[in-house]
Amino acid sequence: MYKIRLHEFEGPLDLLLFFLKRDELDIYDIPISKITKEFMDYLHLLEKLDLEVAGDFILMAATLMQIKVKMLLPKEIDEKGEEIDPRAGLVKALIEYKRYKEMSEEMSFMESSMRKHNYRVNFDEDSKQAPNDYEVLLKNITIYDLIKAFKNALLDRPAEPVHQIKKWNVSIDDQINFINSKIKDNKSVSFLDLMIEMREKIRIVVTFIAMLEMVKAGTIGLRESINLNDFIIYGIANG
Amino acid sequence: MDNIYNSVIEALIFASDDPIAPAEIITAIKALDGLDTEITDDEVENAVNELNVKYEQNGHAFTILKIAHGFIHATKHDHAKYVGYLSSEKTRRRLSQAALETLAIIAYKQPITKPELESIRGVNSDYTLNTLLEKNLITISGRAETVGRPLLYVTTDEFLKYFGLRVIGDLPKPREIEEIMKDEDFLEQKRRIMMSGIEEKAEEEEIQSEHELINELEPEDEIENENTVE
Repeated sequence: MYKIRLHEFEGPLDLLLFFLKRDELDIYDIPISKITKEFMDYLHLLEKLDLEVAGDFILMAATLMQIKVKMLLPKEIDEKGEEIDPRAGLVKALIEYKRYKEMSEEMSFMESSMRKHNYRVNFDEDSKQAPNDYEVLLKNITIYDLIKAFKNALLDRPAEPVHQIKKWNVSIDDQINFINSKIKDNKSVSFLDLMIEMREKIRIVVTFIAMLEMVKAGTIGLRESINLNDFIIYGIANG
Repeated sequence: MDNIYNSVIEALIFASDDPIAPAEIITAIKALDGLDTEITDDEVENAVNELNVKYEQNGHAFTILKIAHGFIHATKHDHAKYVGYLSSEKTRRRLSQAALETLAIIAYKQPITKPELESIRGVNSDYTLNTLLEKNLITISGRAETVGRPLLYVTTDEFLKYFGLRVIGDLPKPREIEEIMKDEDFLEQKRRIMMSGIEEKAEEEEIQSEHELINELEPEDEIENENTVE
């Protein structure tokens, strides 16, 4: 199986920052036309690779195009009489995102550093085996745990037992009639031939019982067949 | 405060599962030795410092960390490899870029709602939020009194412990916008130095995880974000 590895972008803002950094663009003077094209190319690439393009990316594409259009129109004026840059909102969002992205990098270093410490307590099971009071039991419970527990309780309810009852439309009397119909007019029939068209096990069993009943009543007789693996059923005339 | 309390404090920290707060230490001492026992937060703090100096001088393998509002014993960095080899440390997974980003935003903006978070990140964050809740790094603190009363998310003590912070205020300050615009090269360089260290570890982990869980679907632990797209 092929594994294609793209630079993982955490979202449209991440992707835009990547373009800005790669091409050393000024975040306060984003060439919207160029960036929009790059962005769309990336979306098309995703589509070509048959990856699902997240709605977030499509939203950003629409935003970029909207900005692009606004750039062509006469600028709006704010209450101080200054021109409003249509890109201002985007720039603000990018910078805000960049701040936290940087912080996440800092935190990644902190994580690495803390991973090198090992705590004395590595055996959580201890307290679980011997819960001595409710204080301990409820120690780390949050509302989220309660929601989860409630959900599990709802999901884990034992299912109502459902028994399927199938009615077999076969009776001993029916099968006695069936055997009788096969051996009337002094014909005989082999047991295996009798069974040949029976699909269900229960029908075979009932037929066998019917046969035994008839033997007991003396209305049929059995004799060994020639190949010894079968036997022949024949009628005994009454009287 | 007498020096005898040093070993009492040491015992209390040693016996505690989670970081133990100075207030708890003082409560224990006062409960047994009388309420008029004179001991303050600062003195507990000093005792911890003295203990750490002692550990250092005697070449002990552990130290007392001051994290998550309290104190806890932990092995030193130098032994991470050996301890990690035997303990579950090797299976501990790093947080994904998405998780770190989300945590950073929550940490600085808490309490924060999901819509606020998503407007900063620009992406849907349901999955990441759930992962962080599962790991107990964040929790729900209540609801915002705004339309729809969305849930508010905050970081937990576990978060402080995970990142080695004593209080949330110990987080490095986010840089101001002007600063971000400068220093680009400096940051890049620093990042590269740090990443080389992380990558070494990542490689180790990757080899192990390939052995252990070939098919596990967990995009979470990838660190090699720096590979280029071209």
